[in-house]
Amino acid sequence: MLFPLGYAVWLSLFNYDLGSGSRAFIALGNYTDLLSDNRFWASLNRTVGIVLAAVGLEFCLGLAIAYGLYRLTFGVRILNLLMFLPNIVTPVVAALFLRWIFMGRWGLIAGTLIGLGIFPPDFLGDPAWARVTVVLADSWQFTPFMILVLYAGLNTVDQSQIEAAQIDGAGALTLLFRIMLPAIRPLIVFVLAIRLMDAFRFFDTIYVLTSGGPGTATETITLYTYALAFRLLQVGKASALGVLTLIFVAILVAVMIRVVYRREKGAF
Amino acid sequence: MINRRRLLQAAIAAPAIIGAPARSAGTIQMISHRYPALEYYAEKMRTAIPGVAVNTQLMPIDKAIELATIALSAKSDTPDIVYASDTTFQTFVKNGWFRPLDDLWARYADEFALADFPQAALDTYRYDGHLYVMPHTLNTMMFFYRKDLLDQAGKSPPVTIAGYRDLAKSLNSPLRSGSINCLKPVDAAVNETHWYLNALGDGWFDADWHPAFNTPKSVAAIEMLKDVTRSAQQGFTTAANDECAIAYQQDTGVMGLQWATRAKAMDDPAKSRIIGKIDWTAPPQGHARIAGDGYAISAFSKQDPDVLFRIIATSASQASMRGAASLLIPPRKSVLDDPSLRDANRFYPAALASYVAGTPAPKLPEFNAIGEFVTRRILQAVTGESTVKVALDAAAGETETFLKGHGYYKG
Amino acid sequence: MRRGRTTQWLLFLALAGFTTINLTPIIWGFLISLKQPVDAFSVPPKLIFNPTFEFHEQVWVEKAFWRFLINSAIISIATVVVSVSAGTMAAYGLSRLSNLTSRGLLFGLLAMRMFPHILLAIPFFLLAKTLGLINTYPALVLALVAVNQPFTIWLMRGFFVDVPHELYEAAEIDGCNAWQVFARVALPVVRPGLWVTALFSLLLAYNEFLFALVLTGPDTKTLPVAIAEYGGEDINYWSLSAAAAIGIMLPIVLFMMALQRHLVRGLALGAVKG
Repeated sequence: MLFPLGYAVWLSLFNYDLGSGSRAFIALGNYTDLLSDNRFWASLNRTVGIVLAAVGLEFCLGLAIAYGLYRLTFGVRILNLLMFLPNIVTPVVAALFLRWIFMGRWGLIAGTLIGLGIFPPDFLGDPAWARVTVVLADSWQFTPFMILVLYAGLNTVDQSQIEAAQIDGAGALTLLFRIMLPAIRPLIVFVLAIRLMDAFRFFDTIYVLTSGGPGTATETITLYTYALAFRLLQVGKASALGVLTLIFVAILVAVMIRVVYRREKGAF
Repeated sequence: MINRRRLLQAAIAAPAIIGAPARSAGTIQMISHRYPALEYYAEKMRTAIPGVAVNTQLMPIDKAIELATIALSAKSDTPDIVYASDTTFQTFVKNGWFRPLDDLWARYADEFALADFPQAALDTYRYDGHLYVMPHTLNTMMFFYRKDLLDQAGKSPPVTIAGYRDLAKSLNSPLRSGSINCLKPVDAAVNETHWYLNALGDGWFDADWHPAFNTPKSVAAIEMLKDVTRSAQQGFTTAANDECAIAYQQDTGVMGLQWATRAKAMDDPAKSRIIGKIDWTAPPQGHARIAGDGYAISAFSKQDPDVLFRIIATSASQASMRGAASLLIPPRKSVLDDPSLRDANRFYPAALASYVAGTPAPKLPEFNAIGEFVTRRILQAVTGESTVKVALDAAAGETETFLKGHGYYKG
Repeated sequence: MRRGRTTQWLLFLALAGFTTINLTPIIWGFLISLKQPVDAFSVPPKLIFNPTFEFHEQVWVEKAFWRFLINSAIISIATVVVSVSAGTMAAYGLSRLSNLTSRGLLFGLLAMRMFPHILLAIPFFLLAKTLGLINTYPALVLALVAVNQPFTIWLMRGFFVDVPHELYEAAEIDGCNAWQVFARVALPVVRPGLWVTALFSLLLAYNEFLFALVLTGPDTKTLPVAIAEYGGEDINYWSLSAAAAIGIMLPIVLFMMALQRHLVRGLALGAVKG
């Protein structure tokens, strides 16, 4: 199981051209190349922006919905199931569905707005809108995951604590933020970590929706990695980029854990 | 532990239990790009030689090339027959992944009337003097335009690119864009840019493979492209051939460059709202991209090369190509010159005119790879993320570095 | 949790509204699969049209997607079985290790998930080819298990950590050996967690595309690969993709419906402890 990862790291020390099969050992050459490459930093920047926006949106929205479901006394199961559907769709296909919604001029949104006489902006062709669309696309697919996990978590909070707070006169929101969230801190860490890791690897959908465009507005690290590996056939450099991604994500997750556990320690 | 091993054994034995077909030694494996003409040919390959099973896998071109690249770079003995376009084949040949066809070609010249292929078509697929691909289709970019709308405005189709830009602007409206541009990276963008660079600029490269796309003339050419896109449809930076075809078919665009293989669908009632309203002409000032698809034989295949050659020769036979005439432009002279086919396919005359005036892609194996970062820069220029000159200069710099790293510019 | 009825209804409507909007891409995709291309992408969007089932029929009958469904099923189920059983045992082992060691190991496992998916395709392909496993089921199953393990182990460990130590001690006093402690004491407690892990493993295996593309061949092709083969050089291909997409969702949806009760309980009990 560790072999592929090890092999990829090993590859990153070479200048490996997949086409000609030529290999030249250049130790950390790939890494210095990347770290001094503007394209790397630019795409990293963009990726961080998109990931934070998407995960942030998913968390807030997911929490709100999960809490709503928690307070609901009927129809929960069917709503839960229906809400989870976007997560079930194969990513390759989900991307296509989203494209049919967002495409300029004849996508569902554009078409409907035009039918109503409003001329819509170019969701995929305008740099600012393209980034918004990508964030929405990621959220659409993965908020259900957030909802499911958070909802389950909310259900485990000790009833006695809740009742005590209610007797003290706590309203719905206080209940949520003061009592329930702290109780499920480990779960929040879990779900945020998973989402951060996965969002960084988000590929299929961006590729189908904007291909990194317009221009380079939505070119993320993963797209850059794909281009390096499969178009430029520079597998060594791509592997190096992969390792850098890994390091970066690890740091990000560690920071996140610190933030969530500002006061507690060792619970994770 | 016991559980796990037993489960693994069960998993491996499952195919036998379920009776899934084991891969028979004689089945020939073919990988290809997918579009209607190629589906037709795949069908022909499956039935080419009675008793020989051919398994055809068709998928979008980038996935097909990905898969072929991964397999052949590992010297795998499968696939046996591989799709090759006029550009991708060079990369594969340079890496030693294809088997030359010269000996087989000579052996079967009579049986399959191989002299019917014009030398020009064959030259496209020669590398180092050897032939590697059996041509199956020719394709050319043509100029599509709405005859009804132009007639209404009292205009005739443009004869210069500047004329195209002006006409597109005058016919541009929010609900129907004057121009349809397809600039999705990488392939669509390369195709459309090719026209501007070759018709107005100095082309992609000079004789020594130094970039020529950032000379003053070429910079002006891309400025023209940028100008034209002011009248383009929404989302043109992510539009590939499909989206552009839909734009025409749903009456949301007036004119633009597009592949000839899309022409027939314009008159299909199940797909188009503008039946009979589109007409075609050669691209103004010529030099649009001409291309072709064909099939090659893997250098690592363990199958009998004669058998493989006969399969691809059958699918490219006269009879076969005749049947596909409405789906493509046939490379065979006899089929191309057939008057009955011209009558049946409205777009033929324009396609031929476009082909004659067209320019193929540069014969550089690394062209597709270079296209990746060059089109990125061009899109930056077109969307205004950077000025045209700065973007093109950056692209030229990246290209030189790349090619130098691949052994060019020696001495 | 008794609230006024009106509030309840408002809440329900809000959530239902959100759900409906959320489902729009899927509903729209479904409608596209029933339309001729000329209607599918028209402006303004058509809600009234002549439906046709030709694309669905093409997918399942002509293109014989049922073959790929069988492949997908075999691979998914095999992955789940192997991954969950192996992961559970590993998680149990981890849960009984000291905190520091286990945390270190966990983080190491996660490294797999932090590495770009697409770059792992090449090493896996090389490995499979060397072992002669391309176009067989085990190749893809093993690759999927490898990629899925971190998540599985992490999840299951959370459940195991919940098991009270007294139970272990009691069992050991009773003279149970290591295996018996695991199978007779720990497993029953974490049973709900098994369902959760199974579902997520199933989803991952069923929907996996890139590894499937690289490691399967014509005999073992899975559904996602089959769908992706209709990229789009012809508008008809999009209608086919839509029909195929809707079709392949159904088995998972049915599976979920059957197991909903277990899932929520499982997540609730276990994942809390991370």
